[in-house]
Amino acid sequence: MNIIALFVSPLIALIAGMFFLGLSRKISARIQWRYGPPIYQPVIDVIRSFSQKSITHGKFFDFGIILSLSSSFVLILFLPIGKLCALTSGGLIAFLYLMLMGPFGIALSGAAAANPNSSIGISRKFLLALAYEVPLLLVLLTVMTHYHTISLVEIVNIQANSGWAFGSWALILPGIAYLLILPAILGMRPFEVVGAAQEISSGPIAEFGGKHLAFYTLQHALHVFVGIALFVDIFLGGWTFFGLLNPLAGTVWAVIFGIIIFLLKMTLVLFIGLFVNAVYPRFRIEQAMQYLWKWPTLISFVGLIIVVLTK
Amino acid sequence: MDRNQIGKWLKNPGKMANKYSFHVVYFCTGCGIIEVPPSITTRWDAERFGIIPVATPRQANLFLITGYVSTKTLAAIIRTYEQMPEPKYTVAFGSCPINGGMYYDSYNTITSLDKYIPVDGYIAGCMPRPEAIFIGVTHLWKLIDMDKADGYKRYREDYVHYRANQEQILGELDWPPLFSKENL
Repeated sequence: MNIIALFVSPLIALIAGMFFLGLSRKISARIQWRYGPPIYQPVIDVIRSFSQKSITHGKFFDFGIILSLSSSFVLILFLPIGKLCALTSGGLIAFLYLMLMGPFGIALSGAAAANPNSSIGISRKFLLALAYEVPLLLVLLTVMTHYHTISLVEIVNIQANSGWAFGSWALILPGIAYLLILPAILGMRPFEVVGAAQEISSGPIAEFGGKHLAFYTLQHALHVFVGIALFVDIFLGGWTFFGLLNPLAGTVWAVIFGIIIFLLKMTLVLFIGLFVNAVYPRFRIEQAMQYLWKWPTLISFVGLIIVVLTK
Repeated sequence: MDRNQIGKWLKNPGKMANKYSFHVVYFCTGCGIIEVPPSITTRWDAERFGIIPVATPRQANLFLITGYVSTKTLAAIIRTYEQMPEPKYTVAFGSCPINGGMYYDSYNTITSLDKYIPVDGYIAGCMPRPEAIFIGVTHLWKLIDMDKADGYKRYREDYVHYRANQEQILGELDWPPLFSKENL
């Protein structure tokens, strides 16, 4: 089972991530009253990027993007996709460590490119990461305190028995805080400060072309998948859906339908993010930091206090 | 996706992907750029054909030169063109890059862009409407299908002549040659 999950879960994450990228372009187009590109357009873009000759700016330029992509793949292995989870040890602590490796790799190769726009983008990326890591840590700390475990699989299993965390009174505040920082994690508007195309020429990826750009697109797809999947796993109960899969328990069908339910929940969360993305303009970086350190931090801190006091 | 194109996709995926995902770097020279915002936004929606504007030449494969080219912007155009990864296509927009247009006798305007960088296709008119951009793109698809959009290959083969032409108008260039004798 674990061996299969080792190969299948990155594949599912990659396909679903590319699908989400295509879906987000299509939905944004429909919101703007356009017809929009076909849903498989990101796949075409990746094939095109792979077919182009890329220019390298030295060893770190190549190494950084490969580090970023491979660490994103490793990160997927720690994530329960439905009932599929390759590495069950480590849990949220390992997850938090690895989550910073993706931006770190991009920053490494962006710095090697020595483009002033990349440098600005990298500094913004790390400032934004610093800004959203504080409420994210508080949220995860609350969840870990409430469920007395660091294992993601355990958290999902507890929710299968006692209902979704988002529906329980103790964890609704951390859930709202996570929803507020989700656009910052995904790099969507209003927190699109890092890859601002009109402002700093798409930021850290300004010098990426050809294969580097293709690797970046794949990494971005995985990053979008991870950001949403973590929310679904922690707050929306992963594969559970009001006991729908109970008759199938223990069979292969339970795993397959679990993945489908998981992906449907992810699509729902992505839609919320897209609607915010389509409506709001972009924060400046200091406005983003002020916002992230004020409201989500406050809400998640109150949530933490409530959970600690009632335990 | 057209079902009768699946064979083509399997045969040469790189070429087909280049056809259906034009990432465009717009060079906003002159008045032609005013036709581009309607064509990429709601009214004409170029994104249905996979055409989106990108911010840097490194990510692009289509170079759209909109309007007249003055001597000063020619240097920037050449540098932008040389930064794009191959395969890359150039489309000149409006009548000015073809023969100078209404600036045919100006002391400071290039009359024929094709002498300095290879141009795969022209969209004639002053100004061409956004529909003309789409017709131009479909023609470019046909050219790519027939392997006739080979501007980047011509640039590689005739680089010495292009460079000589560029130096003739701009004087001594302050960047090294793109192709040296080894990587030609």
